[in-house]
Amino acid sequence: MTLNRRTFLGTAAAAGAALSAPMVKAQGTPRVVVIGGGAGGATAARYIAKDSKGAIDVTLIEPTRSYYTCFFSNLYLGGFKEMDELGHSYGGLAAGGVNVVHDWATGVDRDAKTVALAGGGRVPYDKLILSPGIDFVDGAVQGWDMSAQNAMPHAYKAGSQTELLKAQLMAMPEGGTFAMVAPPNPYRCPPGPYERVSMVAHYLKNNNPTAKIIVADPKGKFSKMALFQEGWNNHYAGMIDWIGSDFGGDVVEVDPAAMTVSIDGEVTKVDVCNVIPAMKAGMIAHAAGVTDGNWAPVNAADMSSKADADIHVLGDASQQGDMPKSGFSANSQAKVCANAVRGALTGSKVFPARFSNTCWSLIDTNDGVKVGATYEATEEKIAKVDGFISSTGETAEVREATYIESEGWYAGITADMFGAKA
Amino acid sequence: MRLACAIVLALTPFGALAEDYTEDEIVEIANDYGLDAAPLMLGGDPDYGAYLAGECTTCHQTSGSYDGIPVITGWDALFFKIAMHEYRAKQRENPVMQTIAARLGDEEIASLAAYFATLEE
Repeated sequence: MTLNRRTFLGTAAAAGAALSAPMVKAQGTPRVVVIGGGAGGATAARYIAKDSKGAIDVTLIEPTRSYYTCFFSNLYLGGFKEMDELGHSYGGLAAGGVNVVHDWATGVDRDAKTVALAGGGRVPYDKLILSPGIDFVDGAVQGWDMSAQNAMPHAYKAGSQTELLKAQLMAMPEGGTFAMVAPPNPYRCPPGPYERVSMVAHYLKNNNPTAKIIVADPKGKFSKMALFQEGWNNHYAGMIDWIGSDFGGDVVEVDPAAMTVSIDGEVTKVDVCNVIPAMKAGMIAHAAGVTDGNWAPVNAADMSSKADADIHVLGDASQQGDMPKSGFSANSQAKVCANAVRGALTGSKVFPARFSNTCWSLIDTNDGVKVGATYEATEEKIAKVDGFISSTGETAEVREATYIESEGWYAGITADMFGAKA
Repeated sequence: MRLACAIVLALTPFGALAEDYTEDEIVEIANDYGLDAAPLMLGGDPDYGAYLAGECTTCHQTSGSYDGIPVITGWDALFFKIAMHEYRAKQRENPVMQTIAARLGDEEIASLAAYFATLEE
């Protein structure tokens, strides 16, 4: 019965597209439910509510009342930002007509088209947008699981974990050792671990200059590698020991009780250990049954799930092709999705998908670098069109301008996600 | 004048040339910037511009606030087009903007200009 209903809607949508006047609006106001209030979900909810002008009922389900951006959280570790500056409320979205529900989504009934909430009750949808971000793969780092996250924080979801890592960094003994276990591809924010190393080094240079940083990396190379390595040599000579897969960085075991890290069999006692495990799509994407392995495959044209035409998946959780998993990417994908969802539900004009991304990183005070690209939708995936990256050896003026630009981007994207700050 | 421009655009969804310049003036200005005048004379579709603007508003705030990225709301449409054509021709520095502009067609630039001109500075 439900299968027939889905088939019917699919056919109606296809017929509508052929007539280029889709109008699959059911009885009453069509309902969009968005799960996850980060760069993908908040943007999608805001744009659908703003552009539909009341023609679509938009509900955002997000457990936290204050959202702390993962982007720029490394700058908090380095002392360039306060935690308060990274926190954003959902008041602007509510004022913009989004029904904000602070609860956990625990399951999706795709036949009934409802989302189950931890607090009880079900929320019906015509279109569901999943933007749950990441969770960690169990057993990815030997010796570490979520019960060890206080001894060895991941700090890869911003907030209390980031504060914990900062407190541990500040409590390091003179000449102590900070270890990081970096993640394998693909993961959220490709330059993130290396910007973090830079920010930790910046803090230590000023407060604990004989301390050391060890990075065990399962990869042989990483995002903006030449830029970071140049910066580490320039600013933090002798402090950072990066051990890539060629030197056993992929053979790692940690002992959170003993505070030791074993890299290729060599055991080191450390004072802080930041374990960033392998990642997968957030829980609800798996619960909804739209994942294939760790991630949720999507169609590039509208970010719809390959498993269910009425579910869209945005940001880190999606498997879309060439775009890095970043807040910028999620925000870009959200606008393409919002335009397509609005068109499907109200018949508004749907424009072709186009995507872009830029990732800024801070290496030291006023030493900013960036990498970015434009993307298009192909049948197969989101495909890169053209890109750029900062050069090694740039002048201090260029690097400072890049950092100032990143500050502007932070203000811009958070206004774009949450509405202008009250 | 900006308000008048916004009203004209609102009444003409496919953006008839709602400019305050004669063709001769545009040719002269285009020469000053070393640009072809024809694309600068195009009117734009503010609805299409509104969609395309999603690519801009990740960084440029629609409120017109400045925090390190230039304000682009309320610009005169002609000078918005000139700036974008300069980026596309790599006559203006900034790799982000050069990459964004590289894949914008003349009509897309005109639509963006029409849309941003409607936003209050």
